[in-house]
Amino acid sequence: MNVRKIVNKLGLAVCVFLLVSPALLFFIWMLSLSLKFEIDNGAYPPILIPERFAWKNFTGVFESNSFLLYFWNSIIVTGSATIFALIVGVPAGYGIARLKAHKSAVVIMIARMTPGLSFLIPLFLLFQWMGLLGTLWPQIIIHLVVTVPIVIWVMIGYFETTPMELEEAAMIDGATRWEIFAKVAMPIAKPGIVVAFILSVIFSWNNFVFGIVLASRETRTLPVAVYNMLSFEQVSWGPLAAAALIVTLPVLILTVAAQRQIVAGLTAGAVKGG
Amino acid sequence: MASVSIKNVRKSYGPLEIIKGVSIDIQDGEFVILVGPSGCGKSTLLRMIAGLEEISNGEIAIGDRVVNEVLPKERDIAMVFQNYALYPHMTIAENMGFSLKLKKADKGEILSKVTRAAEILGLGPLLERFPRQLSGGQRQRVAMGRAIVRDPKVFLFDEPLSNLDAKLRVQMRTEIKEMHQRLKTTTVYVTHDQIEAMTMADKIVVMHDGIIEQMGAPLDLYDKPANMFVAGFIGSPSMNFIKGKIAAEGFAAEAGGILPLGGNVPAASVGRPAVYGVRPEHIQIGDEGVPHEVVVIEPTGSETQMILRPVGQTTPQKGGLTCLLRERISAKPGEIVKIAPNPAMIHLFDHEDGRRL
Repeated sequence: MNVRKIVNKLGLAVCVFLLVSPALLFFIWMLSLSLKFEIDNGAYPPILIPERFAWKNFTGVFESNSFLLYFWNSIIVTGSATIFALIVGVPAGYGIARLKAHKSAVVIMIARMTPGLSFLIPLFLLFQWMGLLGTLWPQIIIHLVVTVPIVIWVMIGYFETTPMELEEAAMIDGATRWEIFAKVAMPIAKPGIVVAFILSVIFSWNNFVFGIVLASRETRTLPVAVYNMLSFEQVSWGPLAAAALIVTLPVLILTVAAQRQIVAGLTAGAVKGG
Repeated sequence: MASVSIKNVRKSYGPLEIIKGVSIDIQDGEFVILVGPSGCGKSTLLRMIAGLEEISNGEIAIGDRVVNEVLPKERDIAMVFQNYALYPHMTIAENMGFSLKLKKADKGEILSKVTRAAEILGLGPLLERFPRQLSGGQRQRVAMGRAIVRDPKVFLFDEPLSNLDAKLRVQMRTEIKEMHQRLKTTTVYVTHDQIEAMTMADKIVVMHDGIIEQMGAPLDLYDKPANMFVAGFIGSPSMNFIKGKIAAEGFAAEAGGILPLGGNVPAASVGRPAVYGVRPEHIQIGDEGVPHEVVVIEPTGSETQMILRPVGQTTPQKGGLTCLLRERISAKPGEIVKIAPNPAMIHLFDHEDGRRL
């Protein structure tokens, strides 16, 4: 019995390792790269842990003025797109859940699934015509395509699980539709709003395609900035990996800290009371 | 306080009619219980009184005012839900005072009304807690407190006790009845539990398939059920029905044997097929009567329930009989006993439409 338990645990551990390793290994390799000097990068056999750590890769990233600018750009774009998505998406999710407007939910889903490139070019022309290129507005607006559907879908799941009786009780207690939403439904869905916020931040922060098309030199967000560190003549892997790590870090911390809520949020509505 | 009048109310969802023309007059201060099996439309009717469901046809009036088109919040009613529907993010005091807060009542008034309701229900020490920190019975009381605080014209209860365990249910039953005796607010109460209905109501409305089968005082329904449905629904354990024919010397059961009729059968109906109804508590075991075989004996201490079947039958369903006795019984399963229904307490029903004869 005991041997069997140990074998079971070992088997599980191996399976978990196999499943997780593709994601984990390249992270570890990126970390290793960011801490190595250029000379160690090309070494054969490869070196995982270098003898001397190249901290200057990290300090170098911050020393370049534009990196802080791009960081700030990312914060503005992601922040605005998320806040606006919450303002629009939470009431929208409530409305769709309560009116059982599943068709409009599907329409929103389609908007989310449409490949970005199919509308990026016309929008690029539109923004050019409006004279918005060179500002952060085009990116903020287009990130809504990502953030609004996420918020709406997470909130639909949450509002569908709040018992109807609570709202009926409030209706009898004398609340108007708006009061029911603001004083009963929304406070109860607070965990859902947190999840929607986190997911929206993650997806918006990581977005690359929109930035590469719409951003100019001054309005780059971080993923685009990192990409621009690749040049044709030479790739300096150390600084690149360090920059990539710094870009990933906020999202990584957010995901690790809130993973429980994120899983709960993504499965909300799947199980009653879940 | 107010009367409630329901006139020929109908409710349909598309072609499906849930309530098929129901009229009830509820007096000021009366405790009326809508009872029936699930799906009979009783909850829908209650929700129509509350304004949570639209009325497809007919008229509902609270006091002198027809409320068909009036919003729930303007009907001056309070409702207690089956799952209590307490706001999870508010304390007990906030839950109870929510309606007053929405009316923009001043804080002192809210506090005094909430405190008074909490005193009535013994919730004083719990006012600062959240619903999740309360037991089922306490939550039930908070839901009632929320209703009391509003001082409404009508209380509506939607199966308020069905989430509680058996012991608590009996206790809360007493509390609700006591509360009604104290406040004398008109009350409409929905339940599927006929014991709740019998013990609490001034008037019971038995519903089935969207119509009213019978309406009246609890004991009237028990003594004179209008049809087999009411006869079987009211009373626990439920009434025994025996198929057979009316004969000159009594009732000739299909399974054999002559059961007493009490002599008030008109001669014209002799030979007519009918259903003989007798409650388990109105059957005596003695030296005289129709022989039955004992199948199961269930003693509870205060009384003994026996399941019997006519001698010669093998399936308990066919002609099976329940019998409830005050005294303790020494009979064993398989033994033969003789049963004698009390002729003053028997009921006769039409064998086709189930109406009382």
